[in-house]
Amino acid sequence: MGSSFTRRRVIALLVLTSVLLVTLDMRGSSSVSFVRRSFGTIFRPVEGVVRVVTEPVGNVWHGITDYNELADENRRLRDLVGRQEGAAIANIATVREAQELLALNGLPTLAGIDSCTTQVVGESPSNFSQTVEINRGRNCGIRVGMPVLNAAGLIGKVTEVFNDRAVVMLITDPSYSLSVKIVNQPVTATTVPSETEILIGESTTTTSSTTTTSTTTTTTTTLPAIPGFVPGSTVPVQSTAAITTIPGDTTPGQGNETQVTVPPGADLPLRETGALEGRGLGKSPIVRFVEYQPRFGQIAIGSPIISAGGATSLAPPDIVVGVVSRVVTRQGSLGPILEVDLAASLQSLNFVRVLLYRPATERQSP
Amino acid sequence: MMRLVALVERPMFRLFLVGLVALGLQTTVLNDLRPFGVILQIMLVLAASSGLARGSEVGAIAGFLVGFMYDLVLTTPLGLGATVFAIAGYLAGFANSFVHEPTWWSRMLLGGVASAVGTLLMPLALAMVGIEGALTTRVVVIIAVVAVTNAVMCVPFEKLCRWILKDPEVVPI
Repeated sequence: MGSSFTRRRVIALLVLTSVLLVTLDMRGSSSVSFVRRSFGTIFRPVEGVVRVVTEPVGNVWHGITDYNELADENRRLRDLVGRQEGAAIANIATVREAQELLALNGLPTLAGIDSCTTQVVGESPSNFSQTVEINRGRNCGIRVGMPVLNAAGLIGKVTEVFNDRAVVMLITDPSYSLSVKIVNQPVTATTVPSETEILIGESTTTTSSTTTTSTTTTTTTTLPAIPGFVPGSTVPVQSTAAITTIPGDTTPGQGNETQVTVPPGADLPLRETGALEGRGLGKSPIVRFVEYQPRFGQIAIGSPIISAGGATSLAPPDIVVGVVSRVVTRQGSLGPILEVDLAASLQSLNFVRVLLYRPATERQSP
Repeated sequence: MMRLVALVERPMFRLFLVGLVALGLQTTVLNDLRPFGVILQIMLVLAASSGLARGSEVGAIAGFLVGFMYDLVLTTPLGLGATVFAIAGYLAGFANSFVHEPTWWSRMLLGGVASAVGTLLMPLALAMVGIEGALTTRVVVIIAVVAVTNAVMCVPFEKLCRWILKDPEVVPI
């Protein structure tokens, strides 16, 4: 009887303590953070010693189990590096131009954001969460919520910060979510055979055909009746905007004309905003559209996905996330769900960069 | 000096020290090996073995302490792992009390079952506090791997826990 009473008391005490701890932690109690920090101070040296002692064991294990994969991967990566080197040079030039353009227009660019380069020193020992630990923290200016990326693209965000270390939630964690843009590149060339009135200077001419391609902003127009031009010749028009005259019907019974400026970018990439969500280890993250517009058209496999930014977003715009790897269509007005092939490989993280970026809504006024 | 010796002689302090080393192994080498993509759970073995060695009550307390230490290095809510490990420790001890003459294989079996229950309870507990995504079909693979490896590890760990959790010797004056 006495033993049973003691047992019940012990179990009741443990249950109450658990509930108390979970409640305190879920409410973000500072005492819980203090306990975690204090335990970390005791545990880190022990962990360091164990790491040094057990490293040969890990090396032997990987030597036995991963050798063939490693050799294959090495060959594949050599091929990939060869292919990427050429593309990288062209891309660097393009990125610099884009950043200059954004800077000229007073728009935020990644180049203008300070960052802290750090190294991944540990992974989560749990089977149910995807986090890594980095060896820089508050002393480097890192704060909770800051985006973390490696050379390839976004890998996650900071969820816990200590003085000299921080915990990063990976993009595949089920709790991870980020506002992203999908850049849908139309892939087919379109020929518009309809007749359109175009005003060039003072003269009005009739266009017989207009050809638009997806890879250039040059519009090739055949102009048969312009003085000085041989009828039937093809003239490249590199205009910033074409002005189309369409009949207005605001005044009944009286024909008037309204000028509408049509941007020359019918072939420019279209962007749509969505929410990226992690789905756990071994599963590709997905993107759900915030509001799917049918004009966005068919989403091409391989369309780039980049961070959307915004006043409340924890990540600045234009960080590369990955590309669309699969499009899952859904019935009704719901847009498709996109599976994402991440640009960064989360299996082999080493050096990463924490962007010391805080959204405008969180910045403190000086 | 006498105080330090007295402190080390306390079972829960010894468990804390061994738990620190086990946690070190958990976050380093076991985190690196990952057979079948699953991280082996040495802390859960420690909890279940405590129950097998000293009964359900001590198993629950030891499981709670070990789980609490594990929680401190995870990002999951503090107390969740402690609760799950306490249940695993209690369950192992409780089931073992029904075995007339425990053998090494009965301990292996019970340790494996308690570990499987603990591994299943973890994503359930996470879902209960609103952390979605952990409860997937992959849990089946995790349970299978963790249960088998923990069953094997239970035999030496049960002996270790017998030593850790033995009562301090009373020296006659």
